[in-house]
Amino acid sequence: MNNLRAASNASRNNLVASVATFFAAAVLLPWIGAGPISLTHVLHREAPDYNILIQLRVTRTLLALLAGGALSLAGSLFQAMLRDALATPYTLGITGGASLGAVAVIAGGWSTIWGIPGTWFGALAGSFSVMSLVVGGSLHVRRISASSMLLTGIAINSVCAACIIVLGGYSGMSRSFSIAHWLIGSIDSTSYTSLSVLSFMVVLLGGVILIQSRSWNLLAVGEQWAASRGVRVTTVMRTGYIAGSIMVAGAIALTGPIGFVGLIVPHLVRRKVSADHRVLLPCAFFFGGALLALCDAVGRVLIAPAEIPAGAMLALIGGPYLVWIIRQRKPLEEA
Amino acid sequence: MNHVLAIEDLSFWHGARQIIQRATFRAQAGEFVALLGVNGAGKSTLLDILAGLRKAQSGTVEVEGRDQRQWSPRDLAQRVSHLPQAVNSDLPFTAEQLVAMGRYPHTDRWFESEEDHKLIQQSMERAYCWQHRYRTFSTLSGGERQRVLLAACLAQDASTLLLDEPSTFLDIEQQLHCFSILREEAQQGKLCIAVTHDLNLALTHCTRLIILADGVITHDFSASQAHEDQSWLSLFSSRLRIDRTPAGTPWIWYQ
Repeated sequence: MNNLRAASNASRNNLVASVATFFAAAVLLPWIGAGPISLTHVLHREAPDYNILIQLRVTRTLLALLAGGALSLAGSLFQAMLRDALATPYTLGITGGASLGAVAVIAGGWSTIWGIPGTWFGALAGSFSVMSLVVGGSLHVRRISASSMLLTGIAINSVCAACIIVLGGYSGMSRSFSIAHWLIGSIDSTSYTSLSVLSFMVVLLGGVILIQSRSWNLLAVGEQWAASRGVRVTTVMRTGYIAGSIMVAGAIALTGPIGFVGLIVPHLVRRKVSADHRVLLPCAFFFGGALLALCDAVGRVLIAPAEIPAGAMLALIGGPYLVWIIRQRKPLEEA
Repeated sequence: MNHVLAIEDLSFWHGARQIIQRATFRAQAGEFVALLGVNGAGKSTLLDILAGLRKAQSGTVEVEGRDQRQWSPRDLAQRVSHLPQAVNSDLPFTAEQLVAMGRYPHTDRWFESEEDHKLIQQSMERAYCWQHRYRTFSTLSGGERQRVLLAACLAQDASTLLLDEPSTFLDIEQQLHCFSILREEAQQGKLCIAVTHDLNLALTHCTRLIILADGVITHDFSASQAHEDQSWLSLFSSRLRIDRTPAGTPWIWYQ
């Protein structure tokens, strides 16, 4: 019994550590940037330091924390649903749909609609279309299975990528540049309105996903394994797919398709903390948010005054990491 | 007589191919049934239907006197557990985490209680896999995995255990141990139904043999009567002869 208690103590410590990292990132990272910010100026609400901090750096950090958390949580979820440690929000076609929607909006030249970035509407519309296609298809056959989701996702991603190239060809030079910039994924300052809508979505949908943690454990082993232990497989899978998709769409609508955070963080947490989703999911959310916010902060100062987008910064770390994981796989399985 | 499990007139098609044809039998608590047949006879399909994993196109399955479909998934899982032929997961669950999943239908608690942990440890000790509890399931050998899956089934504490080839990958000592555990479970009032290819293991440990050929239940007899009508042997091979051991139990020889 002692070892079990020790295991749950370790999980609790890791959870506390992830929450602490998240909030430390929220408090400390806004102070990092191209120009120094004076604390006394901020306390006296003096321009420009106060405005830079509150309107640019804080919104940016919060966006990175929320988006990074949402993408990591969704990554862990999709890896459980597909029983594949290499699944990401990309794999299911949601990112493809969202990108196509956002690119269509940029190519059409709608920059803002009712004061909210037009890409948000485009990305949401795109991912909703993909989602209804996949879930609609699964309603038809009355089940939603890992392999059918995976195949549909791959097909949708290819179609969307092709459409994006066609759209890019039709748009002029400057719009082409905006499209390319959006597709690499970057954290830009945003309005507090957009942030509150996003945080509402993330808290609500993240909660829906977290509550089913025990079911994700069983589904990650197998659909029949879960079904014969009392999980309502189709209902739970459908809920996960819908909640995960909306959360991903909401996040990448504001940031562009930032990929690797949903791959690296779940992997690290699974290896270093636990594969148990009751611990994995919250840890992935908090560590993922902190990692993306850190990448964004580093990207701000590394080649200042120019910036490296957070998506590129993550890819620089995530690409080699992925290769490393693949190389590590075989010896680990034999160990 | 109260039947734990009763199927009647069960038929199952996969596309145009009929896999199970009007299968009917009843089983009671305390029985240890061996489900036998050659490859492709429909054994696993029948077991899946009994576990509620597949739905037969016609016929009924009754679990503890009530139609299987009227139980909620959770209530059914408290009564029927299923050991699959294989489990493939890319994700690094430990052996203990896998066995703990057997407790899923019994509690709403976020983490397992002391009592759950006690049962998990007992099940793993019985299946000889407690020493592997911290190991990642995918790094275990075939036989070690099979023992972990058996422990997960025991931890589920259902009144009916359905086991799809529980002795595959096990060495001879472990095969005997696995079937002894199942016999103990039956003696304690559970119903065990195991698919197996080992006829002697079935004859020495099970109380009853049900034989499927091309989706039809052709034979259904108690293990002690195995030598009376020997027509069932030819379904497996023309080279089998049945005899008795010095202790008097039926035993199969092959030439």
